[in-house]
Amino acid sequence: MNGYQKGTAVLGLLLLLIVVGAVVRQSRQPAVVQLVPALTGRPELCLTCHQGIEEISPAHPTDTFGCVLCHGGDGLALDKELAHAGMRGGRNPSDLAAVEESCGGSTCHSGAAEDGRDHIHRVLTSVQATYAGAIAQVNFAFGGQADAAAQFGIMAVEDSDITTATGAAALAPFRPGPDAPGPVQTFANECLTCHVSAEAINQPYFYRATGCAACHVVYENDGLYRGDDPTTPKDVPGYGRTHQLTTAIPYTQCNHCHNRGNYSLRQMAFLERDDLPGPSHLSAQEQREIDYYQPIAQFTLCEWELDCVDCHTNGEVMGNGDIHAGQKDIQYIQCRTCHGTLTEMPQLVTIEDPEHPAIYSSELNPNYSVQVGDTVIATTQGETFGWVKWDGERLLETGKVDGRLYEVPLVMGSACKQQPDQQESAYCHECHAYERAVNP
Amino acid sequence: MARPNFFEHLHPPTIPAREARFTYTFGLGGMSLFLFLSLIVTGVLLMFVYVPTAVSAADSIRTITYVAPFGWLLRNLHYWAAVLLLLTSAFHLLRVVFSGSYKPPRRFNWLLGLALLLLSLLLSFSGYVLRWDVDTFGALTVGTNIVRQFPLLGGWFYGLLVGGPDISVVTVVRFYTWHTLGLSVPVLLLMGWHAFRVRRDGGISHQSLVVSPQSPARPPRISRRELVQREGVAMLALLSVLFALSLFFNAPLAAPVDPLAGPSAASTDIAAPWFFLWIQALLRRLPPLWAGILIPLGVTAVLALLPWTLDRKTEGTAVWFHPAGRWAQVVVIALTIGIIALTLLELWR
Repeated sequence: MNGYQKGTAVLGLLLLLIVVGAVVRQSRQPAVVQLVPALTGRPELCLTCHQGIEEISPAHPTDTFGCVLCHGGDGLALDKELAHAGMRGGRNPSDLAAVEESCGGSTCHSGAAEDGRDHIHRVLTSVQATYAGAIAQVNFAFGGQADAAAQFGIMAVEDSDITTATGAAALAPFRPGPDAPGPVQTFANECLTCHVSAEAINQPYFYRATGCAACHVVYENDGLYRGDDPTTPKDVPGYGRTHQLTTAIPYTQCNHCHNRGNYSLRQMAFLERDDLPGPSHLSAQEQREIDYYQPIAQFTLCEWELDCVDCHTNGEVMGNGDIHAGQKDIQYIQCRTCHGTLTEMPQLVTIEDPEHPAIYSSELNPNYSVQVGDTVIATTQGETFGWVKWDGERLLETGKVDGRLYEVPLVMGSACKQQPDQQESAYCHECHAYERAVNP
Repeated sequence: MARPNFFEHLHPPTIPAREARFTYTFGLGGMSLFLFLSLIVTGVLLMFVYVPTAVSAADSIRTITYVAPFGWLLRNLHYWAAVLLLLTSAFHLLRVVFSGSYKPPRRFNWLLGLALLLLSLLLSFSGYVLRWDVDTFGALTVGTNIVRQFPLLGGWFYGLLVGGPDISVVTVVRFYTWHTLGLSVPVLLLMGWHAFRVRRDGGISHQSLVVSPQSPARPPRISRRELVQREGVAMLALLSVLFALSLFFNAPLAAPVDPLAGPSAASTDIAAPWFFLWIQALLRRLPPLWAGILIPLGVTAVLALLPWTLDRKTEGTAVWFHPAGRWAQVVVIALTIGIIALTLLELWR
C-alpha cells in the first residue's frame, strides 16, 4: 500500500467508527411519547421522560390539558434544560407569582364570582395570602401604625367589588423602612414565612408547595415523592406525595403550616413544637391525636377525628373575595352548623338544580357524592356541606379525606345545657373538651 | 495507464508540485467546496421535514432534533458544515492574501471569492433565522433593523427582506426562500465560475517560470491522479471531523418564540450569530448606520479593491509574505485582529 491508500484506510476506519458512534447514539434516544392535548392541539413530548407521572386531577385530564397549558416550557424539546426553560413558577405553576398565567383565564380560575371561577382573586385577597391581620396586629403593637386596622399585606392587593361589611378596598405591600420600629423590621425580615406564597421551611413536617398547591398538593411529613414519575427523585425531600391536586386534603397538609409551633413576639422567632413525633409505641390513632393540635390547645373529639376540611369550608379557607383584616372576619362555621341547637335543627337544603355547586364539588372529591334530591347541610353564608346528608332520620357525615361514615349527634333533644346566645365553640369546649389519652 | 476518471478530469493534467503541497493551499478552497456540497445534501434532507411557517418552524426544528431518526445528526452536520465553511472560506482568503495569489491576472477571481464569502455569511445568517426561536428572533430583529438604516433605500430594502412593513408570518417564508434558493443557487454557480477562473487564469497561483538556456530544468509537477488522491484523503479527514463534531456537539437551540408575545419575546442576551458578533460589538458603541452598514461595507470595499490599490504588482505571486504585498498583508492582518477582538469582546461581555 502506498501512503494515500494507508491514509484512506485509516481515515475510512475512523469515519466508520464515528458513524457507528452515531448509530449508537441514535439507538439510545428515548422512544418518543407524544401527546396532543385536545385544548391546544399542539403535540407535546413531555411524557417521553415523565412517563408514569400521575394525572394532575380528574378535572384536568391529561388528554385534554396536556402539560404545557399549565406548566409552560418547551413541550417539543427533549433536552432537560431547553424543555424546562420558561416553565411557569418553576416546578409549581400555581405559585402566586405565576398563577394568573398558569391557572387564570376567564374560563378557568380567574373568571366571574357568579360562575364560581374567581378562585385566584379569592386566594390573592384571602388572609392566607395577605397575612393582613398578623401584620396589622404586630405593626400596631410595636408602634408602626396608629390602630390595628389592616393596611398592609404580603403583596399589594386591591378589591373593587366589596361584598361584606369587613371588606377592605386595598392593602399596600408591607415593607417597613429604616425608620420603622426595630421589632417591626425584625418581624418583617424574620416572620413573614406563614402565607401561601412563602417558601416552606425545608424540614420534615413543614414541606409544602406555594400557591394553590400549598393546600391542594398533598405533601408527606417527610417531603418525599411516592409517585411514578421516573424523573422525580424518591429520596430527596421537598416534593409532593404525588403529582396530584385534590380536595380531599388531610389535616396533615393543613398542619404543614398550622399547629406546628408558635411565634414568639418577644424573641421575634418561630418556636417549633418539640413533641413530634410522639413515642413510637403509640397507635396511629394516638399519634394523630398528638399530632393534630399543639399540647396547649383545647379541642373536642370531632375536631381531631375528622379532618380540617370536614368543617372549614372553601369560603373560609380560600376567602370570599374580600380583603379581610384577619381570620375572625372570615371564619364562620360553628359547632351548631352541623349539630344545631336545643331549639333548632341544623339548616338543611335539598339539592334540586343539577348544576348546584354541591354536586360539582362532590365530583372533585373521590370520597362522597351528591345527587339531585339529596338533603345536605347549608351554612349561614350559603355554602353547602354536601358530605353531611340528612337521610330523613339521621344526619350522616362522610369524611372528605377518608370516606368514613359518622353519625352527627344533634343537640336538639340532648341533655346539653347551652344558653341560646352561647354558641361559639369556646362554650362547647367547656363541657366537651377532649383530654388527650396520651400526653407525651 | 488507466484513462483519467471523472474527478481526475476536473483537474488539469499536471500541476506544479510546490503549489500542490498541502502546506501551500491547506486545501482550503477544496474543503470549502466539499463543505458547501455537504450543506446542499443535508439541507435538502432537512427541507423534507422543516415547515417554513411562523407557527410551525420551531416545532419542525424540534421534530428534526428529537423525533426524526438521525434528524439530530442531520441538523448537527448541517450546522457544523456551515461553521466550518465560514472558517475555511475565511482562512482561504487569508491564504490568498498572504501568498500573494490575488495579484494579476487573478484579480477578478479575487472578487468572485470575496462575493462567495459574503454570500456564505448571508446564507449562514438566513439559516440561523430559520430556527425561529428567541435567540434568532432577536438577531432577525436587530439584523433587519440595520437594513432599515440604509440611506434612502433602507425602508424599501427592509420591506423586501421581511415581506411587509414589519416582521410577520411572511418573513419566515422570505428567509426560507432566500436560504434554499435565492442565495444558495448563486453560490453554487459562483463556485463553478470561481473554479473555472482558476484554470483560465493559468492554474493555481504559482511562481513564474524562469527558463533560460543555462537552467533548462522546469519545476517539478505532479499528476492529477496524485492530486485527486490527496484530495480524497483530505475530504475523508474533513468528513471525519464533521461527523465527530456532529456526534459530540449539538447545534444550538433556544426556546421557541411565543407567537402571541411576538418580538418582545426575543432574547435580550446575545442575539447575533457568532460570525456577526463583531458587528454587534460595533452596534453597542456606534450609531447603527456606522456599525451596521458603513463599517462592514468599508471592510468589504477595502478587501475588494485590495489588488487595485494596496498592491498592484505582479511580483511575489505564490510567495509567502512577499515584501511587495506588505501593505495588503498589514491591512488584512489588522482587519482580522479587529474582527477577532470585537468578537471576543462581545463573547465575554
